[in-house]
Amino acid sequence: MSATLAWLAAAALAPAPVSAPTDAAAPTAAPTAPADPDPDAAAPVATPEDVAPADPSADDGTDPSTTDEAPAEATPEPEPEPEPTPDSDEPDGTLHAAVERAGPPYYDESDMAALRQRYEVPDPAPPREPARWRCLIADPTCKINVEVNATAAYALRFQQGDVRMTGANRWNSGRAQYDVWANFATLVEQEGTAKYTKMTLGPKGGVIFSDNGDMWGNLGMAGRYWLGRGRFAPAIEFSSALAFKLGTRERDIITGEESFQMQRGPVGFTADVGVGIGGFGAVVLGGQYDSPLAREDVPERFRTSAAGMFFVGFRGNILWGGPAAAAILTHGLTQRLVER
Amino acid sequence: MLLLAAAPGATAADGSATDEAKDYGPFFEAEAPSDATFATKGRKGREPVLSVANGALCFVEGSWCKTSVLATVEVAAGMRVPASDKGPDMPYAHFGFRGGFAVRPLMFTRREWHPWGVGVIGSWTRGTGATTVVGGLDDQVIDETPRTDAWRVGLLNQLWLSKKPHAFHLDFTMGVVRSEVLTSGAALVGTHAEVAFGFGGWGSVFAGGDFLDQDTRVSFGFRGHGIAAAPIIAMVIGGLALGGAL
Repeated sequence: MSATLAWLAAAALAPAPVSAPTDAAAPTAAPTAPADPDPDAAAPVATPEDVAPADPSADDGTDPSTTDEAPAEATPEPEPEPEPTPDSDEPDGTLHAAVERAGPPYYDESDMAALRQRYEVPDPAPPREPARWRCLIADPTCKINVEVNATAAYALRFQQGDVRMTGANRWNSGRAQYDVWANFATLVEQEGTAKYTKMTLGPKGGVIFSDNGDMWGNLGMAGRYWLGRGRFAPAIEFSSALAFKLGTRERDIITGEESFQMQRGPVGFTADVGVGIGGFGAVVLGGQYDSPLAREDVPERFRTSAAGMFFVGFRGNILWGGPAAAAILTHGLTQRLVER
Repeated sequence: MLLLAAAPGATAADGSATDEAKDYGPFFEAEAPSDATFATKGRKGREPVLSVANGALCFVEGSWCKTSVLATVEVAAGMRVPASDKGPDMPYAHFGFRGGFAVRPLMFTRREWHPWGVGVIGSWTRGTGATTVVGGLDDQVIDETPRTDAWRVGLLNQLWLSKKPHAFHLDFTMGVVRSEVLTSGAALVGTHAEVAFGFGGWGSVFAGGDFLDQDTRVSFGFRGHGIAAAPIIAMVIGGLALGGAL
């Protein structure tokens, strides 16, 4: 190595070509410089004949000015370069320095192809076509997306009745839910130069309706785990949220008329898991629990019982219409047909 | 000496002067061919979504908006904490609407981007009713209201956390709230304070409080832009109409 450094330093610092004996020994290490077919564009050319042979024995106690040797510590470590390719048009031993491109980009697709060929890396698969609707429908090619989902579900509702008896009141009902989801990529995979979202997480919020005007608000987190990369790739959806009662329909004990009234209740929770097709729709299975308001310091008339539901249904993006229509239909029919 | 020969500002062997500035970026005018990207690209350029005059007025807040119109729908849940002699703490929830505008004052000057924004907001919410329990066991008086409506006006201070089009931002709001205090039937003016964490103009989560005389309400909620909430409102109205509630 020291011989190579000394040789490069000598080549750079030599004020004029120094003739060397033609039978001088060749450098002990091959000089490294990329081949360039254009000699005019090359940097100053140095040939092995231009420099004195590197003799390690000359380093010991010898004046560098007399031996054309430069201090080794003044020479930078040469960058590893590709091996020079022999050029039959050039005299033997002619070296050409690399010529940097005039401006960016300093490498392009052809350079990447050459690199892949050199290391026998197969060409990457072409990236998938972009998602439509500007990621308003979830897609693995989206890093971020915002969507509005509607859920139509059958619900098995229950409510705690007389606390002196086991069991609960149960009845069949429906559940309509309208939510806004914001999804951020949390796991990303790469194929070639294309990125695909593997998993998303983000906040969500909305409202839930069931029979007799029951209305809840909910806010929480939603996630989606993609099992493929296509537009209709299967995905596992999961969400959980705080759910809190906002109102219900109550009958006036004097007039007998029913009207929507705000109703308070402690914060409960709702959660579900589903299997979907793309971001278009999913079959979901979930549950909800309404915490009771039963503290002793709360007057009896304000107390509420523990309640909840299990539900199975269909949730999907409203942009293609089906989920929205199903949710509205479920919402309306639940109000008309279900009696508690 | 070789290092000196290659030093910035030195003259190359062929006589051309080396330019130190050329040794530094930008190295890639376009994305480097080896960089991985999502096939579905975000919006190019800085012009915010649903804006006019290159962000001079935005209908959905964005990091590059100089003026933004605010129009959101919210749901929230929390606690209602009356004075200790007015009854127990009770759960509280509300839904509501919020509007206003936000301005990035320093972006009207020579600064191209600045994280600070200021604005004015007004909101209306309908919350769960109040309950009061006063007196002793012998003369206990229990009262309630069916709902709690509240109007708010506040000064908004924003801090945008990045220059991305739909960047995260912190919103601090201080203002006044006018609402009926417990079951008194009297609407008083109190203090409203809120801190929110937003994602562009599309949504945010917030924690806020209304502080009135003997009546404090604190809540944690989710707020969505009117464009996203409008379909939900339409579906709710459709469902209610189909169910015969309207």
